[in-house]
Amino acid sequence: MDKKKATILIIDDDPDFLDAVSSIIASAHYNVSTALDPKGGKEKIYSEKPDLILLDIMMDSLFDGFSLCHSIKTSKEFSQTPVIFVSAVKEQTGSRFRFEGAEQGMRGPDDYIDKPINPDDLLSRIEKLLPKEKR
Amino acid sequence: MNPRKPLILVIDDEESIRDSCSQIIAKEGHLPDSAENGAEGLEKIKVAHPDMVLVDLKMPGKNGIEVLEEIQAIDSTVIPVVITGYGTVESAVEAIKKGAFDFIQKPFTPEELRMTIRRGLERRRLILETEMLRREKKIMEENFITLVSHQMKSPVVAILQYFEVILAGMAGEVEKRQAHMIRRSSERLHGLLNLINDWLDIARMNKGIIAGKLRPLAIKDLVEKLIAFFEPTALEDQIFLSLESASKDFLVQGDMETLEQVFSNLISNAVNYNRPGGSVTVIIKDEEESVIVEVQDTGIGIAEEHLPLIFDQFYRVDRKEGQKTKSTGLGLSIAKKIVAAHGGSIQVVSELGKGSSFSVTLPKARAENDVSAKKTTLV
Repeated sequence: MDKKKATILIIDDDPDFLDAVSSIIASAHYNVSTALDPKGGKEKIYSEKPDLILLDIMMDSLFDGFSLCHSIKTSKEFSQTPVIFVSAVKEQTGSRFRFEGAEQGMRGPDDYIDKPINPDDLLSRIEKLLPKEKR
Repeated sequence: MNPRKPLILVIDDEESIRDSCSQIIAKEGHLPDSAENGAEGLEKIKVAHPDMVLVDLKMPGKNGIEVLEEIQAIDSTVIPVVITGYGTVESAVEAIKKGAFDFIQKPFTPEELRMTIRRGLERRRLILETEMLRREKKIMEENFITLVSHQMKSPVVAILQYFEVILAGMAGEVEKRQAHMIRRSSERLHGLLNLINDWLDIARMNKGIIAGKLRPLAIKDLVEKLIAFFEPTALEDQIFLSLESASKDFLVQGDMETLEQVFSNLISNAVNYNRPGGSVTVIIKDEEESVIVEVQDTGIGIAEEHLPLIFDQFYRVDRKEGQKTKSTGLGLSIAKKIVAAHGGSIQVVSELGKGSSFSVTLPKARAENDVSAKKTTLV
């Protein structure tokens, strides 16, 4: 029986990082989509309707990742789409255990993962967040 | 620069002076305002933040010198000029000493007033510009640190990510010898990443940023989260973590991000320098105006001759063989700096072969303290 595999969108401003993470995702036979900046990310979200989004917190500005996440989570169509924040350890403004933007009324992600990403760890986190029929 | 017209307040009990000054100020193209006594004038300063204030020295109620002192407490960028009576140069000198920019003697001509105002406003412009540049510089410095560290880390992280993918066999088969080399390269790069992170912390610490970020923080909650975070890896080496604390949580005056780093450093040291079957115990103790958090381990301990030096930058005790990544030698010195920025202190007792105990003393949050309790500074 053929199941329809999920599409994962990766948004990160480092092309090499995108390349490496794409091969991790592809190894689990998910469809991979990528974007190099928040603007491109937004377009891909509308055009490809991903089932999960991997989002780099620190792109051009420290708040790009945060505000993009907030607008995904407060949108009508994509509020249920899982978002995983990706960042180099200690790079995020706040604590690694807590999404501090909540204090300013910002909607946070569903999970965090540190760069460099361990492939098995990433795949198991993705699987947990995807709806059953897409795993 | 400032699009609004300069606002100049005249505080004088004589109506004729207020009126004539206001007329001259308005003719110069500025906004005049006036008050007939010190108290009214100070209220207006609080609300309207004028650029310049002309204050009569001799007034009923609050005198000019008192008003002068209070103006500076309200807004130190306001330019105060005093108006003195004929032949009272001594009081004008005192006013200058108290921070007046200039003085003008009654009776004065419109031209004298205009000159004084022009000089005062020029001074005001300079002060505001300096203030703005200082603020811009501070923001740039802070961003610079973040930016540089981001740009140093990005390539390292990208390389490490490729290594992860190769080692996972996702880019084709890897021979044993190749895998070994890539694994070692990866470990060395992780060391470099730690060094960049530590460097960033020290650079931030020197800017005195922590002091501005202190707020009441539940310390037990923070320690519990860290223990939960380290537990899985500690259990792999059969090291048991536990917390001893009163059921009540205490609020310390702290910055979450950096305190997390302090205890994360102490707990991970306690785990890494332990022995199989050993334990790490975190004890939270309540002192009157402070909270003491003790991290005890049953590890290899630190020799007496090393103890006074372990908080120094780049000091490393080479005490563990086969350690994968060398420590940067910065962890404890950063922890000490963070704790000091909290107004607290850090102490260590240790016995070689038996274990070490690090205790961190942190001031309680003000909300937790009895208001009537005398305030002491903890060093």
